[in-house]
Formats: sequence, structure tokens, C-alpha cells
Amino acid sequence: MRITRMILGLTAAATFFVAACGTTEEPTSNAAATGEAGPVTVVDSRGKEVKLPHPAKRVAATEWNGVEHLVSLGVMPVGVSDIKGYGQWVSAGKLDGTPKDIGTRGEPSLDTLGSLGLDLVIVTDSVTEGALEQIEAKVPVIVIKGGNAQDPIAGMYAGLDVIAKATGTETKAAQLKSEFDQKLTTGRAEVGKLGALGQKVAFSDAYVTSGSVSIRPYTKGALVSAVFGKLGLETAWPMAGDPAYGLAQADVEGLTQLPDVRFWYIANNADGDPYQQELANNAIWKNLPFVKSGKVHRFPDSLWMFGGPKSMEQFVDAAVGALKN
Amino acid sequence: MLTLTKPGPPAVRRRGRAALLGTGLAALLLLGSAVHLTQGTASVDALDVLRLLFRGASGDTTAVVVESRLPRLLSALLVGAALGVAGSVLQSVSRNILASPDTLAVNAGAHLSVVAVAAFGVSLPLLGAAGVAFAGGLAAAVFVLALSGTGGTGIVRLVLAGTAIALALISVTQVLLLLYAQETRGLFAWGEGSLEQNGLAGVRTLGPLVGLALAALLGLARRLDLVHVGDDHARTLGVHVGRVRFAAIGLAVLLAAAAVTLAGPIGFVGLAAPALARLLAPVVPGLHRHAALIPFSAALGAVLLLGADVLLRAIISPQRALEVPTGVVTTILGAIFLIVLARTARITSATAEPPAAGARSGVSAIRYRVVLVVLALATVGVAVGAVLLGDAKLLLGDVVNWLSGQAGPLVTGVLDTRVPRVVAALLAGAALALGGALTQAVARNPLAEPGMIGVVGGAGLGAVTVITLVSGVGFWTLTGAAGLGAALAMAVVFAVAARGGFTSERLVLIGFGVHAATQAVVTLLITLSDPWNETKALTWLGGSTYGRTLTHLVPMALVLVLTAPVLVRMRRELDLLALDDETPRVLGVPVVRSRLLLLTCAVLLTGAAVAGIGVLTFVGLVAPHAARAIVGSRHSRLLPAAALLGAILVCVADTVGRTVIAPGQLPAGLMTAIIGAPYFVWLLYRHRRGSALSR
Repeated sequence: MRITRMILGLTAAATFFVAACGTTEEPTSNAAATGEAGPVTVVDSRGKEVKLPHPAKRVAATEWNGVEHLVSLGVMPVGVSDIKGYGQWVSAGKLDGTPKDIGTRGEPSLDTLGSLGLDLVIVTDSVTEGALEQIEAKVPVIVIKGGNAQDPIAGMYAGLDVIAKATGTETKAAQLKSEFDQKLTTGRAEVGKLGALGQKVAFSDAYVTSGSVSIRPYTKGALVSAVFGKLGLETAWPMAGDPAYGLAQADVEGLTQLPDVRFWYIANNADGDPYQQELANNAIWKNLPFVKSGKVHRFPDSLWMFGGPKSMEQFVDAAVGALKN
Repeated sequence: MLTLTKPGPPAVRRRGRAALLGTGLAALLLLGSAVHLTQGTASVDALDVLRLLFRGASGDTTAVVVESRLPRLLSALLVGAALGVAGSVLQSVSRNILASPDTLAVNAGAHLSVVAVAAFGVSLPLLGAAGVAFAGGLAAAVFVLALSGTGGTGIVRLVLAGTAIALALISVTQVLLLLYAQETRGLFAWGEGSLEQNGLAGVRTLGPLVGLALAALLGLARRLDLVHVGDDHARTLGVHVGRVRFAAIGLAVLLAAAAVTLAGPIGFVGLAAPALARLLAPVVPGLHRHAALIPFSAALGAVLLLGADVLLRAIISPQRALEVPTGVVTTILGAIFLIVLARTARITSATAEPPAAGARSGVSAIRYRVVLVVLALATVGVAVGAVLLGDAKLLLGDVVNWLSGQAGPLVTGVLDTRVPRVVAALLAGAALALGGALTQAVARNPLAEPGMIGVVGGAGLGAVTVITLVSGVGFWTLTGAAGLGAALAMAVVFAVAARGGFTSERLVLIGFGVHAATQAVVTLLITLSDPWNETKALTWLGGSTYGRTLTHLVPMALVLVLTAPVLVRMRRELDLLALDDETPRVLGVPVVRSRLLLLTCAVLLTGAAVAGIGVLTFVGLVAPHAARAIVGSRHSRLLPAAALLGAILVCVADTVGRTVIAPGQLPAGLMTAIIGAPYFVWLLYRHRRGSALSR
């Protein structure tokens, strides 16, 4: 009797334990259940058709824009590259602590990717030659673009859409896009209220090498600049950026090309603030019209310049905040 | 090494030439400076600068000129002069035309310390950064000098130790750049030397230091003349040779470190400027005296650097020039110059050392067999360990299951990607070691590693060119491009070195120039085409087994199979060729033809390895040396031992790179340098002690 009771008790405990496990798994299976459970075919940025037997649940992403897309679509990734850096730079899509680190963004660990039992891996075109085929031999891979300087917002949507289709979260993607549109509309109205429509902004980040400051302008082709454009703020940088991210290079002397614009920049406390630390006593800097008129503004830390709709919403808030300043 | 050109007897009639040269250089400097001031990203042109002179300019112009243009100009002059003098003094003291801040690891040490500080998230003000770079450069130089001694006997050893340590330091730097890509943004470009300045603070801080060091060296000029002529000669005249040498080297390092701090490691100015001065010495009387040589080297260095900067910004606009470090241009110009110099310079092989740092004359047959068996067992052990270790640790049972096709999906997934990497490492290591052993024997020079004669650099350049110009290239295209690059580099090196039947010093000197030029062009390609994708380029250049599949192994296996019978047949010729020029000729060996055939084998081996896993610079140098130390210098024994040692070295390096920071990874090439350099340094050290005892 005693033994039977013990067995019963243990079984009950085990059942509860298993049931408890089941509940932690539930949200993902629910999310999948809302989409069609049947096979999915998506066409990625390479133009390749990727066939999946069912919408992917266990997904890894090597680049942070892919990770952010997944998180904001409600699919917590299983593997993420450089989790520490992600936490430092991307606050729009917080990880819940479950994803496993798969190494650097350029060279994700194939061992770890192989051991996670994945349905899908999302990479950008910056993954090393040769690795793509090896990952693809085991798990379906979707390649998204890191950026598209021709039409940055459409480029961002293209990445979001293909991931949404592959994970069966298209309703969520539509919702994200309409929320973002909403945010742009209200943002633009606020900009209008502040009387800043049509004003020029120059957004950049900067880094220090051995005491001299290198500036990285976000030109017209950059995602952030496109978002500012939607708000009715014009990008002031005269030079052309690179074809993927719309980034250029400038030095302090080159800043004299800018008129009295709003000079916005982003920095990270982890790396310091070159504008405040290095240029404070520089005569060129002090002579710049926007420095004299106090139009220099540092954005909050940890907004990812190459992220998805959620990051870009943060930029809308930051821009409006900067105008009110 | 080269003997420096002896000056002709001073003729009174030609005395005016020194004055003429001085006036010419001064005019060049003035003209260059004037053009330099008008170049920049702000719309401040020549007229504005002129107006500034007559006090009619706006505050804006003044600020631009004072805070940006003038600092850049002054730092170009200062850095050029400092490097020119540093190189000149180092060359005199070591009587070695290859001695320079680049080859003594001063630049590499300073760069590493700056990157390390940035990587660990410390943002330093200029003076702090200056101190850090200075300490790093000084530490590296002191280490090199302590290893090789300043006694004048270690001329080859000085460059050997310096190059080895520089390679290791550069590798550590690249590891940091890869691991801390975010924190060290921009330091990749700075690593090639950039004149960007942020105000006059840098020049104002380091200018006086450079001035003081220059003055002190001028004070030593007379004694340097005597030391340069010969130790014994100087001693009989009452000069304390050791003390003079020590002071001169210290001051030269000080100058080089100051230059690195101000502008990053600017390549080749420290080599080209003094070499140019020496080239002029037979024509211009009095130039061989240090009282004249030092100021002329300074002026030539300044002219070279300023000229490179003016040229760069005149050809591509100042806006685009922001992306290209000036050091890249000086390196390309300097390398071309070095090649021309090597063509015309008179070379004697009297001072060359045989390629036998720490060599045994021979071991008994039994002992050799035991060693070979042990090495073979070690290779197998290392290979098995490499298969088991990695991000995911496996057990032998997993491997057995995998081999019999019974493994689960996880183990299969891991092993399917890992086994090709292990095999790639083993094959590449063997190929590179054989290539190195052949090159060292044929060139009769311990420095003659395939990397050193420009073949590895050429292969790398070919591959990176294809990666840059065409997106998503396949492996066979890449292999073809790497092979083509290696062949082209070889053709250039050999065509130029052909004069005088491939004299070994000339070969190495020209190869060294080609290697530096290819590296600079690679940097140029990356910074111009894809400045925000440093990781990809660094990964490829670092020599990585990452993402290797079975197809990648085919070229290496093919070349090894093809060259093996040739090497077996040529083993005796190799022994003879490694001796001297005369013996093989007397014994009826067709010297030029054998050399060409063997070097073609070396190029094929190296090219295949580079195409397979990227640029691995250290294996070809270390593995043959180690093999020679263990089994002696007979090639029938040396080649198998070197191949096994190379395979072990690359395989261990790869495994360590895959394991230590998992799930992140380090390229095998960086790990071979970090593992190989200390061993090599130990070899040098042991040899030094040995030779001291035998004396």
C-alpha cells in the first residue's frame, strides 16, 4: 500500500512537474497555432525560395536587426549573436534571458547552431563565405539585408515581412507596421506643432582614435535619416553614404560644411562621448554655428540605429524630445 | 644582409652638391607644405589661407587652419622626420639596411597597447594615449633588443626576432579588433597610420620630445660614424661601442614611439628615407657622416610622408581620403622604392647566416625514427583531440557512431562541420611547413618564409580583390584568384630578383617589399570599398578554418600529392642547394633550374594553403626551424618532420581558437602567430646561449 501510495504521489508530482514545463512552452505553441500550421514558402533577399514544413518556432539570428524583428514579432529567439553587445545597443526588443549566445555576428558558432535543434536561422549578408552553406545543410536559412540605402524603411519592412511569414506571425507584423505608421503620423503632427517642419538635422555618431575624432554621418540613405524625413525633418549631410547603411565619414574640419542645423548624435556610455569629451576645447567645434546656438543634442543611449520598427519608434520619440529641448 | 654602400673619396669639386640637395629638399618641403595647407574637407582654399597671412580672414578660417590644417601639416613633418632619423640610426648601429621601426616591432608594440586600452573600454585623453603607445613601443623594442643583444653579432637575429615579435603583436592586436569590434571601431584604419589630428595638442606635446632626441643624436654623430665603420676601429679610437649603441637605439626607439603615438604605425618611411639617403651618399660627398646623414634623413622622411599625404588627397578628394590611412600610401610608395633599391644595391653574401638557428648537425638513424614516430602519434592525437574539442565537447563514442552513420542529429551536425575544419588545418599546416622549408633551403635564408617573399601576400590580395569586386563568389573562383595572386607575386619577385641568379638577400628584400605592398593594397581595398565591414576582412586575412567544407580541402590535398614525389626525388639537391652556390654547381646540379622547380613547388603549396584557409604567416617560418632543431638539417629527414610539426601547430592553433572563447572564435592564423612566436623566440634565445658557450 505504502509503495503504491508513494508511486501515486511521485506520479502526481511528476505530472505537475511536466505540466509546469508545458506551461512555459505554451506561449510559443500558441503563437504558432494562430498562424497556419501547414508548410510555408518564403523568398529571401537572395531571391531564394526557402521551404519550411511548418512556421518556425525555434529560430536563431546572427544580426541584431533580425533579433529585434523576432522579439517584436513575439518569437523569442533561441540563439542570438553577441548577447552582451545586443543588450548594450538595442533596448527596443529586450531578451528574456533564455537565448543562447552563438558567438560573433560575423562568425556564429556552427557547433552551437547545430546543437540548438533549430527550425530556422536568420542571417544577413555579412556572414562569412562558406558558413552560409554549412548552416543551410542542416537548417533552413533566410538571408535578410543589413540595410538598403535606396529605400531604408522599405528595406526594414522587407526583413520584417519575410521573418513574419516564416514564423507565421504576419498579423503581428501588420500590427507593428500600422503602429509604426501611427507613430510617424503623431510624431509629424508634434513636429508641426513645434514649428520644426522642413528644418535640417544632421545625425551622427563618432569615435576617438588616439585623440583625434572621426565622425560617422548618417546620410540620406540611412534608416534613421529616413525616419526623420517622415517626420518632416530634412537631412543636412551633403555627402553620399555607402549603399547598405547610408554611412559616410567626416572629420571635425568637415563639419564647417554644415549650416546652422540641429546637430543630433548618439553615443554609448560604454564607449564614452567623443563630442563632449574630445571636442569641448576645439576651436573649430566651438566656432560651428550649431554649437554656438546650442543646437547640439545627444540622444538617449541604446537606440539601435539599424534596428526594426520598435527601435525606430524610439527614434521618433527621441527626435520629438530633442525638438522640445 | 646588405653591406652598405661605401662612400667614394670626397672630391672638393662636388662639395656644392650637398648644398644643392639641401636647397632642393627645403624647396620641396615648402612647396609641399603650401599645397598641404590648402587641402581639406572644409571649404578653405589657397586664397583663404593667403588672406589669413594678411590678417583678413574670418574666425572660421583661422579655426580650421589652426585646429586642423596646421596640426596635420606639422604632424606630417614631425612624424616623417622622426621616422627617418630613427630608421637611419637603427640601420647604422645594426649595419643592417632592413632595420627600421617596422622591423624592430616598435610600431606593432605601440599599436597593440593603444588597441588594448580601447578594447577594454578605457577612453583616454591624448596624453594618456601617448603614454600608453610609448610604453608599448618601448617595451616591444626593449624585448627585441634584449633577445638579440646589441653586440653587433646578432644582425640577422635582430631582424628575425623583431619580425617574429612584430607578427605576434600584430596578431594579438587583430584578435582584440575582432573580439571588440564595437569598442575599437576605426582602429583598423589607424593601424595603418593616419595623420588625422584633433588640434595642436599632440604636436605641442611630442614636438619638443622629438627635438630633444634629434639634438642628442646629433651630439652622438661623430661617435656613430666610428661605430658604423667598425667595432674594433672605434674601440681603438677610445669609443665605448656598447654605450654608444645603447644610447643611439634608445633615442631611435623614442623617436619612433613618438611618431606612432602621433599618427599610428606609418609604414616604410623609417626604412625608405634613410635608405634613400644612403643611396645618395656616393653622389653627394659628406652625406655618409652622421652629422649630415641625420638631418638629411629627417628631411627625406618629412618629404616622403608629406608627399604621400598631398598625393593621396590630390588624387582622391579630401573627403574620400578620410577613409584611406596615409600610411597605406607611404607603404606602397616605400615598397616600390625598396624593390628598386634591392635591384640596384650591391649585395655580397658574406654576412649571410645559414638557415640554421639552433640546428643540430644530425641525429642517429634510430633516434630519427623514434622522433618521427612520436611526431606521427602526436599528429594523430592532436587531430583526435581537435575533433572532440570545440564549442560542443564530444566523446570518442560519438565519433565512432558518426563514422558508422549511427550518430544522432546533434552529433552529426557538429561533426559534419568540425571534421572538415580539422582536416583543413592539418593539410594547410603541412603544406605551409613544406613551402617554408623549401623556400628557406633554396633562398638559404632563415627569413625566407613564403610570407616573407610575398607569395602569401599576393595570394591574399588576389582573394580579397575578388571578394571586394564580386559579391558572393564561389570557392573555386576564390582559389583561382588566390593562385593567380600568388603566381603574379612570385613572377614579380623573381623577375626583379633574376639579376644575378636569385641571390638570396635580394630575393628576401624584394619579397619583403612585395609582401608589404600587397598588405597595404588589401587595406586600401577594404577601406575604400567596405569601410564598415572590417570583421569580414580581418577574419579572412587572419587565416580561418571557419566555414570550411570538403571542397575546400581538394586543392591542398591535390598539391600535397603532386609535390611529394618531386620532393622525394630532389632531397639531395636540396641539401646541396642549402650549402652554398658553388658546391652544387661543381657536383653538376643545374642550380637555376632546380631552384625554379623547388620554388614553384613552394608557391603551389603556399597558394593552395592560402586559398584553403587564408593568410597564415608564421607556420612556414617556425615549423622548418623546429624540425631542423629536432632532426638536423638533412632534407630527407627535415621535410617529413616539418610537415608533421606544421600540421600539429595549425591544428592546435585552430582548436584553441575554436575553444577558448566559445561560442566566439579566433582565426587559426592569429593563433599560430601567438603560439608560434614564443617558440621561435625561445629558439633564438637558446641559440644565442649556445653560441655564447661555444665561444
